[in-house]
Amino acid sequence: MTQTKHIEMYAVRKSFRFFSLRDLSLDLEPGQIMGFVGPNGAGKSTTIRIAMGLLAADSGEVRVLGCQMPEAQAIAKRDIGFVSAEMRLLPHATLDWHMRFVASIYPGWDPVYAANLVKRFNLRPEQNVRSLSHGEHVKAVLLLALARRPTLLILDEPTTGLDPVARHEVIGEFMDVLRDDSRSILFSSHNTVDVERISDRITFIDRGQMVDSSDKEDFLERWRRIQLQLPAGKMLPELPDVVSRVNDGQFITLTTNRFSDDWLARLGDGVSAVQRMNLEEIFVANVMHHREARGQ
Amino acid sequence: MYSGLNISQTDARPMYLQIMEQIRARIAAGDWVAGKELPSIRALAAALSVSVITVKRAYLDLENEGVIVTRHGKGSFVADVNGLAGELQEEKLDEHLAAAAGMGRQLGLGDDELAARLRRAIRNLDKK
Amino acid sequence: MSIVTRKLIGKELYVNRWFIGGGALAGLLSVGIASLGKTGFNVGALGWITAIIAHGVMLAIYGIMNERKEHALQFVLSLPVSIGDYVRAKLVGLLLCFLLPWFLASGAALILIFAKADIPDGLAVFAVLLSVFMLTNFSLVLCGTLHAMSEALISAVIIVTNMAVSLFMFTVGALPAIQKTTTAKVPDWNPTFWTVLLVELAVFFAALTLPLLFAARRRDFI
Repeated sequence: MTQTKHIEMYAVRKSFRFFSLRDLSLDLEPGQIMGFVGPNGAGKSTTIRIAMGLLAADSGEVRVLGCQMPEAQAIAKRDIGFVSAEMRLLPHATLDWHMRFVASIYPGWDPVYAANLVKRFNLRPEQNVRSLSHGEHVKAVLLLALARRPTLLILDEPTTGLDPVARHEVIGEFMDVLRDDSRSILFSSHNTVDVERISDRITFIDRGQMVDSSDKEDFLERWRRIQLQLPAGKMLPELPDVVSRVNDGQFITLTTNRFSDDWLARLGDGVSAVQRMNLEEIFVANVMHHREARGQ
Repeated sequence: MYSGLNISQTDARPMYLQIMEQIRARIAAGDWVAGKELPSIRALAAALSVSVITVKRAYLDLENEGVIVTRHGKGSFVADVNGLAGELQEEKLDEHLAAAAGMGRQLGLGDDELAARLRRAIRNLDKK
Repeated sequence: MSIVTRKLIGKELYVNRWFIGGGALAGLLSVGIASLGKTGFNVGALGWITAIIAHGVMLAIYGIMNERKEHALQFVLSLPVSIGDYVRAKLVGLLLCFLLPWFLASGAALILIFAKADIPDGLAVFAVLLSVFMLTNFSLVLCGTLHAMSEALISAVIIVTNMAVSLFMFTVGALPAIQKTTTAKVPDWNPTFWTVLLVELAVFFAALTLPLLFAARRRDFI
């Protein structure tokens, strides 16, 4: 089985009038889910559009499923399912028409699975697309992408605007995709809870630059918040890898991104609590740290 | 679809630890017998809606503890070690006793006082 | 032409089916009205022109502008097509959507002119030029909307090309060679006619070729 990476972006640059993507590198291996997290306007959608060939990078390499983008996009897209939260289906047509349309284009369409999803997502195929609510629209677009069983799924905020039940169903479908270790998913999201739960790798992006990219478990193990209480007169040793430090008299809160038992030992006696951080906290701390480092 | 395990994101403990705990609990209780095949990593990940990497980590750590055995290409199995269930139970007991000892210290109880309390708890158990 | 491009052309025809039907109906109805006496003719003729123009405008607005605005463009571009395939499919698809009613309406108009005794057959000369002018007009709108990225620009193109119809009628219609044959009993396919027709067709083909050379080669589409 070929082990070509599903997405390879290297030193990608793209400039617009008020925003530019700089030195972005991103790798997605088959069998992985990558969560792509960043504040609004960070460049997530731009990156995804470059991966889909809808925008051409100014410089750098972009290869998806082995195809050079945007030149070979017609070939690559045979095996990519693309869903964005703002995507809309064609007006004046029903969901059923769309299903037949997509089925006639993609040989991989699975009608049984599609019918299953219609039921699970609570959709009505004979309904005209215009009368769908936002949530139903997103579910319809997801259905059309999932039922083709594409090798790679690229999703731009796929759960935004979905109610909790729909979100649960949709996440379940994503995880089902990963039963096959030759398929992969790249998804951007604000929902750090979902990203934390299902991602194998996580990439943080802020203001057009990649801030950090690593295995999810690695992030969760490296970041800690330490509460210390130092008696008067006692000083903390100078320690590396302190991302932030908040002093409140005797009470100090440190945030580190390179936690280890050795590092903890060097802090000495004053430690009153060692707290793990959830992805949202890691994300905010990481972005703040990078903005400071860049003098912003 | 094996979804008998339950992973909570509001639980303070990391997800991989929760998975390990619940698997150990089932082995200790005898529900999962020696030699039983565990769900494949991807199947369990899909069933729990948890990332593959988390399940992989749980299985790896369980294997390092000797609780499960992974045979390359064949899958993972509950370790066929005599008294594994009992061993795991005893480990749990030691954990509880360590916690009790810690609390005793915090409350300022002496060693004899703590032992007396333990004996009282055993007597209460026998009474029921 | 790839399968997907063909499917997209089919989709264009399906999605605009009500416009096609409505446009054809309006055109044929206008010709019907034009067959009823002098006032009927004036009303019908105006209706005929309006129907064809309106059909073109609807296609431009709903066929292109709205698709982009309504983010349905993202769905279409998620299909296994290149930007060039998309432009070609749009071009051919929307042209077909326009051609159908246009052909029916124009054909019916010519039949009316030749069939009815009290309408001079010479009018056919001007009618052909006007008809082809509206076709050329639509091709320009198509060309413009495939290249323009902003809604304002697209609207401007639509407005300008439609104002041009009146301009055409007053300038070309006033050409002495054309004016003479308009009221004649027998159509005079004179050199002026051929010149104007050739110019119209040249512009038509240029308008269709431009998107293939520019819009289809675009590297940034959204």
